[in-house]
Amino acid sequence: MLRPVKMSRVVVAGSKDVISPVVEKLHELRLLHIVNYNGSQPEFEMGKPIGKAREYSEDLIKLRSVTRYLDIKSKAPEKTYPESQVLSEMDNLLNNVGADVIATFERITAIEAEVKSKQDQINSLKPLAALPLPLEAYYGYDSLATFVGKVASAVDADVAKVSPVNEVYSVSAKNATIVAVFVPAEKAGEVSSVLAEHGFAEMSVPRLEGSVDSAIATLEGSIKSLEGEKAPLQKKLADMRKQYEDIMLATDEYLSVQTHKSEAPLRFAETANAFVIDGWVPSDMYSRLKSELESAAGGKVDVQILDDKEADDLVEHGEDVPTKIENPSLVKPYELITRLFAIPEYKEFDPSLLIFVFFPLMFGMILGDIGYGIMTLLVVLLLKRKFRTEGWQQLINIVMIAGVWAIIFGFFFGEIFGPLGLWGRIMGQLSEAQIELLKGQGLYFGEGVFGSLGRLGPLGIFPMDRLATNAVLLLIGTSIFIGVIHCSVGSILGIKTELNYGEKKHAYFERLPVMLFQIFFALALLGLVMGQMVLVIVGGIVIVVSIVMMVMGPEGPMGLAHVPFYVSNLISYLRLLAIGLASVGLAFAANQLAFYVIMPMLSGGASEPTFIAIIVGVVVLTVVHFINMLLGILSPFMHPLRLHYVEMFTKFYSAHGGGVEYSPFGHVRRFLKA
Amino acid sequence: MAVVADAGVLYGLVAVGAGLATGLAGIGAGVGEQGIGAAVVGVVAEEPGFLGKGLFLMLLPETLIIFGLAVSLILMFAWTPFSGIVTP
Repeated sequence: MLRPVKMSRVVVAGSKDVISPVVEKLHELRLLHIVNYNGSQPEFEMGKPIGKAREYSEDLIKLRSVTRYLDIKSKAPEKTYPESQVLSEMDNLLNNVGADVIATFERITAIEAEVKSKQDQINSLKPLAALPLPLEAYYGYDSLATFVGKVASAVDADVAKVSPVNEVYSVSAKNATIVAVFVPAEKAGEVSSVLAEHGFAEMSVPRLEGSVDSAIATLEGSIKSLEGEKAPLQKKLADMRKQYEDIMLATDEYLSVQTHKSEAPLRFAETANAFVIDGWVPSDMYSRLKSELESAAGGKVDVQILDDKEADDLVEHGEDVPTKIENPSLVKPYELITRLFAIPEYKEFDPSLLIFVFFPLMFGMILGDIGYGIMTLLVVLLLKRKFRTEGWQQLINIVMIAGVWAIIFGFFFGEIFGPLGLWGRIMGQLSEAQIELLKGQGLYFGEGVFGSLGRLGPLGIFPMDRLATNAVLLLIGTSIFIGVIHCSVGSILGIKTELNYGEKKHAYFERLPVMLFQIFFALALLGLVMGQMVLVIVGGIVIVVSIVMMVMGPEGPMGLAHVPFYVSNLISYLRLLAIGLASVGLAFAANQLAFYVIMPMLSGGASEPTFIAIIVGVVVLTVVHFINMLLGILSPFMHPLRLHYVEMFTKFYSAHGGGVEYSPFGHVRRFLKA
Repeated sequence: MAVVADAGVLYGLVAVGAGLATGLAGIGAGVGEQGIGAAVVGVVAEEPGFLGKGLFLMLLPETLIIFGLAVSLILMFAWTPFSGIVTP
């Protein structure tokens, strides 16, 4: 669980006669993580594809272009097909259906282009409608120059100055004046510069005939008929998509698998008559791999396991041992968080289990509200049915477990949609006199009760109102305490990781002093707060010792530069209290606003709220709590994530760079039946 | 010790100080995250696999605001230096 699965290095060598059955078997078994042959040894060359590799990839390209036209994307499989059916339908799918799809799609594209160009013509015609000229009047002159466009101010007088012979039509539209100026061709240059002074912007006039209005009507008519042609074509594509979606995805899968298999030998080493495959296999699967391969190849293949020394030697020379992380199903979702950061190296620890322990706890401690917890669960259950891909499901499971913890902490904190809003009404409250008494004794942790059970826990601190001073102080301590444990677990893993890599100096003089420093720093603080000078002195001594150890460590005095970071690591855990406090504060404000301000105000001071007051109050409550809950799910998620990534992972994780994930040669069938 | 100030005034000043501590630290953290966030979004657009590490980098300056908050909490809840010098 905490460590990746143990792997063994194997070599498979065999006669080329049996390369196909061996590849077939390997693909079916999904056990061997193949190490690509890099062509470094002169006696071996790279393998060549077997079978119809080229044909398969050509078909695949053809199919993918059709699926792209149909806008088919991979999805959760609803229907599976046997390989025989895929094979029999493939030809029809690729040629007849494919050609039909492409032709239809191209016609639609052509129609869209034509509609667009006609639309542009209409747009350029519209401003001209106000001018009293038919369209054929705008073009076809030899001795006349024509200017049509928008101007900022009237041009008649200025045009007449440079060209006494002229014809100017102008009309004022909403925000500009449209003009059509006709002058003798030899005056074109001068008129053009005059027009430029008036901010002339030329418009193109389509070469059409008749009045502007009738031309627009004709264009609109043909757009309509084009649209009429397009609609059934689009419906046809949609129908085809519906009809062929599943089989196309199955065919895509079949072709991918075939390509994958036929190109596999590119990763092998080959001689004239034999082939060699290097790879890693989980150690407990080795015997299965060996027996299955040998029976598939009729004894013409040899499967050998390398001993640890030989394997270590290869690793020394730059080969990566693939990491296979394996966790119980409850912990599995948390691999998502691990992966988001990096895959652990083979010799490192897989932190998923630790995330499983700490993450929901931290989420719960921050959110800590029965009402919000239940709402989170409901929302997530709804999403669970909607988003079925693996990543989403993992994320949803994480939030679900976290939501349960939020409900549990909600009982500790006595919160249902904020403190004392619903809680006091459901479970009851202490009397004013008792509250005053507790405050006087300095034992006030809130005024809610667990129904007839009253207040529980040592000194009766539960249900604890997080906004009470005592509770804040207690939670500061708890947060730092959780931080110390969290960081120490990280440090212990760090020490073990360094030992796995054989780096004793790093383990004992870099990782260990950090742990000592953080634990005893927290203890010294505790001593200060509680007035126990013994703790402070012991803490101080160990802190000094740990700093001396850091100086003796691999980084030397430079190691001291990290000390502020270790202190800030611990202080960082205060966010567990702080973010929770912020959301409690908002919830509390919402309840106060609704119950003690808006409702009494609208009821005109009556002891029972009126109907309208209740409605307005409920609306206010819903809105504010909804916003608070959105924030309240996001930040309790992000901040523990940070505490893991920054505070914990830096102690042990990926100090040696990310690992390579175990990805065995083979394929998980989705749309194909086994 | 002589009484030098009114408790209400001092408590008010402490509250103002606490507010400034959290608020200014928040601005600082925001300024820090602004640049990192923009860069991370750019990288993630090119290479989605960087998201985890990007988040890690983006969340680093978050600690700043927690420092400010720690100061505020101490001021508001655990700091009683004036108990001897104020009027009750």
